[in-house]
Amino acid sequence: MKREFDIIIVGGGHAGVEAAHIASQFSSLEVAVITLPGVGLASAPCNPAIGGVGKGQVVRELDALGGLIGKLADKAGIQYRTLNDSKGYAVQSTRVQIDKTKYSIFAEEELSKISNVSVLREKVNGLVKTESGFEVDTDKWSYRTKRIIFTVGTFLNGKMHVGEEQTIGGRYNTESSNSLSSFFKNIKTTSARFKTGTPARLDKNTIDYTVLDEQPSDSSVRNFHAFHDFNKRNLDQVSCYLARTNEKTMQVIRDNKEKSPMYNGQIKGVGARYCPSIEDKANRYPDKNVHHVFVEPEGLDLDTVYPSGISTSLPKEAQYEFVNSIVGLEKAEILVYGYAVEYDVIDTTLLSYSLEHQEIPGLYFAGQVNGTSGYEEAAAQGFIAGVNAALDILGRTPFVLRRTNSYIGVMIEDLISNTRDEPYRLFTARNENRLYVREDNSVLRMYEARKSLGFDAHIDLYNEFFVENYNNLYELLENYFVNPSDKFLQQEGIKVPRRLSMAEVLKMANLDPVMTLEKFINFCNLNVPRETLRCLAISIKYSGYINKAETQNKKIDKLDELKIDWQIIMESENVSFECKQRISKIKPSTFGQLKIIDGIRPATLAIVASKTL
Amino acid sequence: MEYLYSQDPIIACSTGNSSNSAIAVIRLSGFDNFKDIENFFSLKNENLKPRYAHFCKLVFNKKVIDEVVITYFNKPHSYNGENILEISVHGNVLNVEKIINLFIKNSNFRRAFPGEFSYRALRNQKLTLPQVEGLDLLLNANSNFSLEQGYSLLNGQLQNDYQDLYKKFLRHKSSVELSIDFFEDIGEEAANQQFLESLKDLKLSVDKIVSHSNNTGVNLLNPEITLVGLPNAGKSSLFNKMLKDSRAIVSNIAGTTRDFITENILIGDVSYRLTDTAGIRTTKDIIESAGIERALKLLTTSFYKILLINPYEVVEEYFLNFKDINFDLIIFTHNDKDEFEFKKEELINSLSSKGLNFGPTEPKVSGPIGAKNNGPIEPERIGPIGANLLNGDDKFLDVVFDNINAKYLSFIKNQPILLTRHQDVINKLSLLVKDYSSLAENEGDISIISSELNGIGHCISELIGIVSPDDVLHNIFNNFCIGK
Repeated sequence: MKREFDIIIVGGGHAGVEAAHIASQFSSLEVAVITLPGVGLASAPCNPAIGGVGKGQVVRELDALGGLIGKLADKAGIQYRTLNDSKGYAVQSTRVQIDKTKYSIFAEEELSKISNVSVLREKVNGLVKTESGFEVDTDKWSYRTKRIIFTVGTFLNGKMHVGEEQTIGGRYNTESSNSLSSFFKNIKTTSARFKTGTPARLDKNTIDYTVLDEQPSDSSVRNFHAFHDFNKRNLDQVSCYLARTNEKTMQVIRDNKEKSPMYNGQIKGVGARYCPSIEDKANRYPDKNVHHVFVEPEGLDLDTVYPSGISTSLPKEAQYEFVNSIVGLEKAEILVYGYAVEYDVIDTTLLSYSLEHQEIPGLYFAGQVNGTSGYEEAAAQGFIAGVNAALDILGRTPFVLRRTNSYIGVMIEDLISNTRDEPYRLFTARNENRLYVREDNSVLRMYEARKSLGFDAHIDLYNEFFVENYNNLYELLENYFVNPSDKFLQQEGIKVPRRLSMAEVLKMANLDPVMTLEKFINFCNLNVPRETLRCLAISIKYSGYINKAETQNKKIDKLDELKIDWQIIMESENVSFECKQRISKIKPSTFGQLKIIDGIRPATLAIVASKTL
Repeated sequence: MEYLYSQDPIIACSTGNSSNSAIAVIRLSGFDNFKDIENFFSLKNENLKPRYAHFCKLVFNKKVIDEVVITYFNKPHSYNGENILEISVHGNVLNVEKIINLFIKNSNFRRAFPGEFSYRALRNQKLTLPQVEGLDLLLNANSNFSLEQGYSLLNGQLQNDYQDLYKKFLRHKSSVELSIDFFEDIGEEAANQQFLESLKDLKLSVDKIVSHSNNTGVNLLNPEITLVGLPNAGKSSLFNKMLKDSRAIVSNIAGTTRDFITENILIGDVSYRLTDTAGIRTTKDIIESAGIERALKLLTTSFYKILLINPYEVVEEYFLNFKDINFDLIIFTHNDKDEFEFKKEELINSLSSKGLNFGPTEPKVSGPIGAKNNGPIEPERIGPIGANLLNGDDKFLDVVFDNINAKYLSFIKNQPILLTRHQDVINKLSLLVKDYSSLAENEGDISIISSELNGIGHCISELIGIVSPDDVLHNIFNNFCIGK
């Protein structure tokens, strides 16, 4: 039994699993995940889905970086969809419904395969900072570690609510990790408590699917993981269904307003505005009675379905009444009641780009405890914390992704630059370079960052091969010229005004670049992997717009990347006290980071810019 | 831009220093301590009280240079956040220069670059960017109107208008994001509706700002009144009369060419530049002269255009040069001579048929006005001048002045946006929004639409002065006046 580790990860959720997975790739390090007994690794207490708008991009970024989430999602995937299918390639995102039981089992399997990762089912009771690291006491043993990563999700001071019932804990049917609170006394949390909620889980055998809109799995969607076949699925595929609330549903909820912990003052935490409970929908939009309810299967062998869109903390009777008022759910039985959970989140402005706490070196935070929501966000932070804890032990430079070329970079910078007043979720809107930061080119974007880690794994060879193929084919298309009378164009009925390169042909409006390139490659009898071809076609299609946006952004970007010394700004007599307070907290290292701090005045920017120019 | 880094103490004359005046204020900024320059004054450091006016002597080498009043503002409680000393000296231009040079030669002061005092205020967070611009406008204000606009910028009024535009933009941008990130929640149809409605609002808001932006080419900060006409039509008579009757005569301004004579006059609360395009001597000159070109050029940017015609001395080709000009006032002179009405009608008919625009020929004003040796002037008003005009000098000029004033008021009612930087950005914005609208109609790819929309966002931020401080700063401080 090992008692000494290089890295201990407290929490076995999506962040913890990803952190352990990447840290263990540095084979000289010993890694442990300590997780509460009775909870599966990487469990899915909320929507049983991985990916989505903005999040699908993160999953593919992680996959190209050698992460685990994409592989797990594919293996447990039971329904695939491309969101924003008709709105242009850049905003298309993949979402996979997962079998949550199997997902957890696969996560367990993956970690058990890694010899330098130990999974310890113990309850952490205490934590002490020592000279060389930390001492972790559990209900069984005491461990020593050089670095520690906290991925404790909603368990920090967690409290659950179902109607008037309140229980201590971060999740349905699990123990709490309250005893850590003495250690956390010294760690600044945000002033606001956050709140999240789930809907009641329904018995899938009591639903009348014939009256609901079916959303079948899309067999053409590409899998997440690089080494999985383009679109071959591991598990049987099932459908999701769309139901709708009605006037009666909403009336029940409005009538029970006083019994809702959120409205009678019992819950003080702040929920996400982008993910309102059904009580919020009912009371904030009194004129709207029809809301979408996505009926999502939670697993092939599980009896529960997840009715997405009606998360609630109403008393049990009220939950029954409003659920049964929905067409198709008249006879639905509730297997688990919906509940809300309140929890503390730490003040992420005290974290560095590595997600290391700046006041307690060696301590890292990742996942929901940082105020984010979503498995993908958690996994990405786990990756960043895990890889950086490892690099730090080895005395190597931190691993930082830039916001200009990844959603992960956007998220990390957003988190450490500002205190959040509601749970943080990635949206594509947060990204300034949406045309470039896409799902299809995640390998192109992540290739160099992954390479900098210096591994020689399968994924590294794959990435290299991808980029090489991409570059060769790009060159070919730029130098292959076609005349209006060209045989391929004639065959496809494509009219060009004059002699053009194939690359220019692909840019033409009203021409689907991916389909056209596929046909052209077939025509030339070439063999190119579909994902490379797709990435290339879309990159060419957007290249003009990307260049234009780049020119537009260039000056600003250049300014944004300027290194600044925040300590010098602090010494300036010319910066207001208020701005200084914010700057001293965030400790910005670039002009761009300074710029996105809330409440920084234009004049401060002008001062700093003029001094840095 | 090298001065942007420099913390040197600077000096400049803060009042207009191109002509002699009773008092001039010299401002010194950025010195460490009054003690450093104590020797220049008969007042000692310990007796100097911040924000109090002290009468003392300016001395150098034991010689009294001037008797001055000094006011000390210690940092950070000064206009620009640095130590500032204001010296009120006798306003003779040579005296002012002598004193400034005294400090430059005998201490570590250097002459301030244009706008540098205000730049330091910005750097020291005493002013925001639009406020600096407002200050520029205020100090250059030639009329109450630009004074007002200067204040409104300083108060952030105009900024509020812009922020309204920004809000409309945000709403539209939000609608784009809505249909990308939240289409599952709100549905395709609602997203489309949001998109179209907010785009319409955005366009309206831009149109409004564009209409406020003064794009007629007329310079309202320094409006010009221009007199054209053949020699002997009465230009200089009218010119002199207007100068005499207007409320103030400002000092002589050199004309843009030696042919033109320009003076500042005050009508209502507004200071105008009145230009007589005189100096053309012979008929041959008149038609071929480059003077015509210059007059035409001046007319296109003139606020108020007056054409004088002596119906007894006509060179038709001369008048036809002005076919494209809409005169605010056309005056037929010498109406005391024989057959005046006939001559006038004949000329109007003849020139009208060749394309000169006389506008409405009614109502008329008749009767002898004008100075002794000049023939009587009969104004023939084109435009909204009052009808029942009486004869006599003052009455006639009153009507002209009222008309000029009325025109000015009607112009500024629209709140034109005066700053060139703003006008440039607004024009750019208008073009971008136009392109964007047609793209939004034809493009199915929302990511392309949103990428183009970002360009508009940058443009709007430029207007408010937040996103690219370097560009804006360069632009402003290059166009700044010295010593504020």
